[in-house]
Amino acid sequence: MGVTCVSQMPVAEGKSVQQTVELLTRKLEMLGAEKQGTFCVDCETYHTAASTLGSQGQAGKLMYVMHNSEYPLSCFALFENGPCLIADTNFDVLMVKLKGFFQSAKASKIETRGTRYQYCDFLVKVGTVTMGPSARGISVEVEYGPCVVASDCWNLLLEFLQSFLGSHTPGAPAVFGNRHDAVYGPADTMAQYMELFNKIRKQQQVPVAGIR
Amino acid sequence: MADVLSVGVNLEAFAQAISAIQALRSSVSRVFDCLKDGMRNKETLEGREKAFIAHFQDNLHSVNRDLNELERLSNLVGKPSENHPLHNSGLLSLDPVQDKTPLYSQLLQAYKWSNKLQYHAGLASGLLNQQSLKRSANQMGVSAKRRPKAQPTTLVLPPQYVDDVISRIDRMFPEMSIHLSRPNGTSAMLLVTLGKVLKVIVVMRSLFIDRTIVKGYNENVYTEDGKLDIWSKSNYQVFQKVTDHATTALLHYQLPQMPDVVVRSFMVGRSLSFVLEETNLRVHEHIQQRLSCSSAEAPKYSGLKNVDPSRGRLGGSVGEASDFGSGHDLAVRGFEPHVGLCADSLAPASDSVSPSLSAPPPLTLCLPLSQK
Repeated sequence: MGVTCVSQMPVAEGKSVQQTVELLTRKLEMLGAEKQGTFCVDCETYHTAASTLGSQGQAGKLMYVMHNSEYPLSCFALFENGPCLIADTNFDVLMVKLKGFFQSAKASKIETRGTRYQYCDFLVKVGTVTMGPSARGISVEVEYGPCVVASDCWNLLLEFLQSFLGSHTPGAPAVFGNRHDAVYGPADTMAQYMELFNKIRKQQQVPVAGIR
Repeated sequence: MADVLSVGVNLEAFAQAISAIQALRSSVSRVFDCLKDGMRNKETLEGREKAFIAHFQDNLHSVNRDLNELERLSNLVGKPSENHPLHNSGLLSLDPVQDKTPLYSQLLQAYKWSNKLQYHAGLASGLLNQQSLKRSANQMGVSAKRRPKAQPTTLVLPPQYVDDVISRIDRMFPEMSIHLSRPNGTSAMLLVTLGKVLKVIVVMRSLFIDRTIVKGYNENVYTEDGKLDIWSKSNYQVFQKVTDHATTALLHYQLPQMPDVVVRSFMVGRSLSFVLEETNLRVHEHIQQRLSCSSAEAPKYSGLKNVDPSRGRLGGSVGEASDFGSGHDLAVRGFEPHVGLCADSLAPASDSVSPSLSAPPPLTLCLPLSQK
């Protein structure tokens, strides 16, 4: 697992989500990246059941259960600013049993699907974020394999992102700022995805081209 | 040698057999002397003939006796044990298709060749050091005091000595840790971990570095059995390039008489920030050139003198020629990990003998590690 940066690509003016994704993938292919299959990252939200809340009436915490096709045998469970648990796929079954403590939020499933490209030591994934039947945005994930310390290779990642994202290049993700010399892990990637999904959820629905 | 032979050989009988051979030789030469001298002067012809024949017969009898003695002793000596004369490599000699795959004879020749080369290189460097081309006379005096004793020059070094050298180097840099193991016989295998950036597997032959493989920090360096994997390349192209450079570096440093200086210089070149900057520079160029950098950009080793100390990075691009003053061209193309590569490039080092074979001052090239 190398250092990964997850960001959102805004939909181009006057174009649909599909067309923007196509534009991006064409740029990548011109750059020389090789298509290597598809990927999928999904997220379900659970909130703590009312019965477990203390008498102080504290707000229920939200828990996100995520899967990543890059780690097919794992399941990630994380709180907003809290710890991340990496478990195997049986965790989903466990969540069913824990219905008393964690209840699934309605219509909360959000996922991103798309193609996976390999360019030298970079792994680029461009996906469409969908919530239910509607496409809500575009996610771009870039991973630089050889390096495991975020602070060492952020400049390099930035340069690479600029080469195909142009002006839509994001700033440094929040997870990078927290730990300077710690080894980067998959939990950090999932935290970035969680932030992205939350941001997209708060955004308005992407307008259909030509209609405002 | 002794432990192999004493299995079946009677050393006493061996020594006696050798002296029996000497006795036989002397009696045979006495026979010929007798023939050469001819008949001695006596009163009658018969007397002379009789004396001659008697003398001749005596000599022939003594030859016969010595020969019988030798045969008896040779039966006692016995055959030396033929089980695995050279351990596993001796099994190669049992190959029935010897003409098509003459592996064993080639192996022996390669071994003899490298030993002879080692010997000649030692002689050559000894001769060259006498005629130093250095400008200042002071340096020789100072370094002669610093070098306490002559380093051993043979390939066969006690493993303890190698361990000591490696542990000394291990303590040189805080971010670099060296783990030594000997899974395959006496040649050491080092796993050098540089901070959280990369791991280097260095295969050594006594104190000489044979090959290196550079891998990422998160890559697996062990095979399925748990042994150190010395053959598979890194999955990342960056580290494949760094491996090429490291191999160039180890071919660059050739000092037959001071192999531990060589190892130390090699390690200095692998210091952390140096590698990081070099890595990033390389990837930067990769992106710029879109994979067009193949054999056209063969790695050339820019000497450590090129390093800009204020920034701790290579002051030059990949294509810059070495300015270390070595006499040989290091544009090695197409690296594949096999022993032949090292052997090939050792040859020019002994041919194009240049004054730079005398020790460079590597300790003064220690990079400021705190700077990036």
